[in-house]
Amino acid sequence: MSQSATTGGAGAAPAPRRRRLDLFALLVRFQSVIGLVVVAIGGVIFSPRRHGAILFLQPDNMANIVRAVSETGIIAVGMTFVIITAGIDLSVGALLSLCSVLTATIMTTAGWGLIPTVLFVIACGAAFGAAQGTISNRFRLEPFIVTLAGLQVARGLALVISNNQYINISYGNGPGLAPPVFAILGDRLFNNIVPVATLVFVVVAVIATFVLNFTRFGRYVFAVGGNERAARLSGVPVSLVKISVYAITGLVSAIAGVVHAGQFNFGSANDGTGYELTAIAAVVIGGTSLFGGSGSMVGTVAGAVMLGALANILQLNNINAALQLLATGAIIVLAAVLQSLVRRREGLGR
Amino acid sequence: MSVAAEAAPLLAMRGVVKHFGGVQALRGVDFDLKRGEIHALLGENGAGKSTLMNVLSGVFAPDAGEMLLDGEHVRFDDPRAAQAAGVATIFQELDLVPSLDVTANLFLGRELARGGVLDRASMRKEAVKRLAVVGKDINVDQPVSELSVGRRQIVAIAKALTYASKILIMDEPTAALTASEVERLFAVMREIAARGVGIVYISHRLEEVPRVADRVTVMRDGQVAGVQAARAPQSELVRLLVGRPLDELYPKRAPSFGKPVLTLEHASFTPRTERPGWQAPEDVSLVVRAGEIVGLAGIMGAGRTELLTALYGAAGSGKWSGVVQIDGEPARLTSIRAARGEGLGLVTDDRRGSGLLIRDTVGRNMVLTVLKRVSPGFLMSRARENAFARQAIKSFDVRPPRPEIVVGALSGGNQQKVVIAKEVLGDPRLLLLDEPTRGVDVGAKGEIYARIRELAAKGMGVLVASSEMPELLGLCDRVVVLRKGRTVGEFPAGADEHQVLAAAERSEEELV
Repeated sequence: MSQSATTGGAGAAPAPRRRRLDLFALLVRFQSVIGLVVVAIGGVIFSPRRHGAILFLQPDNMANIVRAVSETGIIAVGMTFVIITAGIDLSVGALLSLCSVLTATIMTTAGWGLIPTVLFVIACGAAFGAAQGTISNRFRLEPFIVTLAGLQVARGLALVISNNQYINISYGNGPGLAPPVFAILGDRLFNNIVPVATLVFVVVAVIATFVLNFTRFGRYVFAVGGNERAARLSGVPVSLVKISVYAITGLVSAIAGVVHAGQFNFGSANDGTGYELTAIAAVVIGGTSLFGGSGSMVGTVAGAVMLGALANILQLNNINAALQLLATGAIIVLAAVLQSLVRRREGLGR
Repeated sequence: MSVAAEAAPLLAMRGVVKHFGGVQALRGVDFDLKRGEIHALLGENGAGKSTLMNVLSGVFAPDAGEMLLDGEHVRFDDPRAAQAAGVATIFQELDLVPSLDVTANLFLGRELARGGVLDRASMRKEAVKRLAVVGKDINVDQPVSELSVGRRQIVAIAKALTYASKILIMDEPTAALTASEVERLFAVMREIAARGVGIVYISHRLEEVPRVADRVTVMRDGQVAGVQAARAPQSELVRLLVGRPLDELYPKRAPSFGKPVLTLEHASFTPRTERPGWQAPEDVSLVVRAGEIVGLAGIMGAGRTELLTALYGAAGSGKWSGVVQIDGEPARLTSIRAARGEGLGLVTDDRRGSGLLIRDTVGRNMVLTVLKRVSPGFLMSRARENAFARQAIKSFDVRPPRPEIVVGALSGGNQQKVVIAKEVLGDPRLLLLDEPTRGVDVGAKGEIYARIRELAAKGMGVLVASSEMPELLGLCDRVVVLRKGRTVGEFPAGADEHQVLAAAERSEEELV
């Protein structure tokens, strides 16, 4: 090809600029991991001490942090799929609440046993999410609107089923009692250090990382968010993918709902409020673009833990909740600004 | 041309240098423009022509060099300063608000008002007057979103014309226009130039230069490769552009055709919902045989793109009637899945909008159409994925040949190679190409043509829609002319351009 050198020259020319930009992009790509490290260092420095020991680093405190983020973390993992397709799911917190109510109700009244109950609740969550995805897709409605409605519906169903009462779970063998093994969700394992809820979070995160990065479905998710029209024209089953990601957020919300019921030994129609925003914040801090097409599961996990660690430091120092909100807000803005800078540097606008 | 030697040039740029990071985009460029002159600026992607014009219009500040406007030193720190000095630019990417109507767009930011209340009547009247010059048939009350790309371009031109008192910069204004729209635009440009405005005209289309320009400056690698009279022979301009003679853009070949891959006889496609401005295929008869490259000619709005998308099942739900056969068997081309199942592949005319995952890597873009073959099971196979991507990069000579680069960082020509390679990787029996070289430099064009011919030689049927007549007549074995969704003529390779144009445009007179 005689002309190739010319066009090759044009394509290769910006190489030195690319190289430097990559370093910057790398920084942003791992912004949440870096942020987590910064917060952790800050935690050590500003931690109160007792008998010379740094409270922040005490195993008990560490366990508290990872336990506190496990439910929103599980949800954030699912939310990452949705946001990579340039969608959003606002129903997750309400769905968690509904699923905690379902779990508690079935355990204490139906006596189905542990595994059937959990599987049924998870299936319900996935079906709820799939229904939202289908409605949004079939009638071309913004997922924002559909899942906002879904939030109301889930909360309403939870109130109806629970009659706006806490449904307490008592353990034992016999009618009206939940299988004692279910209480393990509130326990800690390995020398009473690792919370079981955190283990669930880790398992969910590992599976999700794998699905997103190493399966064809994961690739479809990126393609749909990167350019839906191009994906459709390339033969990607776009509708199926878009429905599936909402089924995934429904599914993880149900898992979080089961964990919630097991940790606190009740189901409540009033829990999980605002979890959707915490989860979205973790995803955004993790470097996933709300415009779709790019994102990182590791980033989301780090983002979720970072938010938990930050809240923990502020609590340890008895700094009030209002300031926690301010700090979280500032971090979200910072993460978004960094991403916008990358886009502008790449010359890809918006 | 007569104004030539009268006074100091309208504009003189001397020794302009501009760096981006470590890259020297402009290496000491001299450029001058006379009053009333239409000055073409040619160059491949990355040659520096857009950067030079961005310096002139105040988007970038130069690192060195000087600018004289009417013999006086000027320095534009932002685009507003340049506009105030009478330098206006029509960008490739149009700065129109789609949801506002044409009138509102023309007056955006400089609305006429009386006592703080918008004076709609006067603005509308003035808009009609302004559009009378460039686009009589555009309805000033219509939202821009309902206009075709070509018409939007005309609105943008009308908008810029209102404040270009000294210099008008036009960045590829004809890229999306039909032949008759181009003629109309050229007439307008000559009229503006006759009033003493200097026009800088950036284009990829070599053949347009002598038709409209007085002089031409050719840029290469951030420098001026030469300044010529616009009537210089094309071969000389090509030599300046690519740095060496380009013998044959359209290499000759001895094609041999197989059995018909696509057969349409009085085929029509009825979409379930009517869309304004969407010209459905109404009565199409054509055959594409294995190994054959068939061109689709027609003016804008003739239904070329619509025919290709409908064949590909991408035109929404609707119904085909008449004879539609693939390999001699009736085919139901009503969904993308069905069309792909029949062995069809489509390269759209809008690589950023519907062709590429622009922020994803070359490799991940390449394998999008063949993910099932790359990874038959649930898991992605990175090794097989890389093998596929490298094969496609090699066969289309994508530069640089690295699958891990973000596709948006490639030049336009290389991006286009990726779009085509991605479809070809799926081994289509019939490849549908819509404007396969839009916004692509001459060098990459030649490579793309050569590759399409190779693919045809291996037995692929190719149907190409293009608004560039030389491309159709040079590349294709036959050219079919579409008009209002109907096939109205067929011409052999190398037919006379004017005959084909006449067939394509006849309807305009009939309908007016």
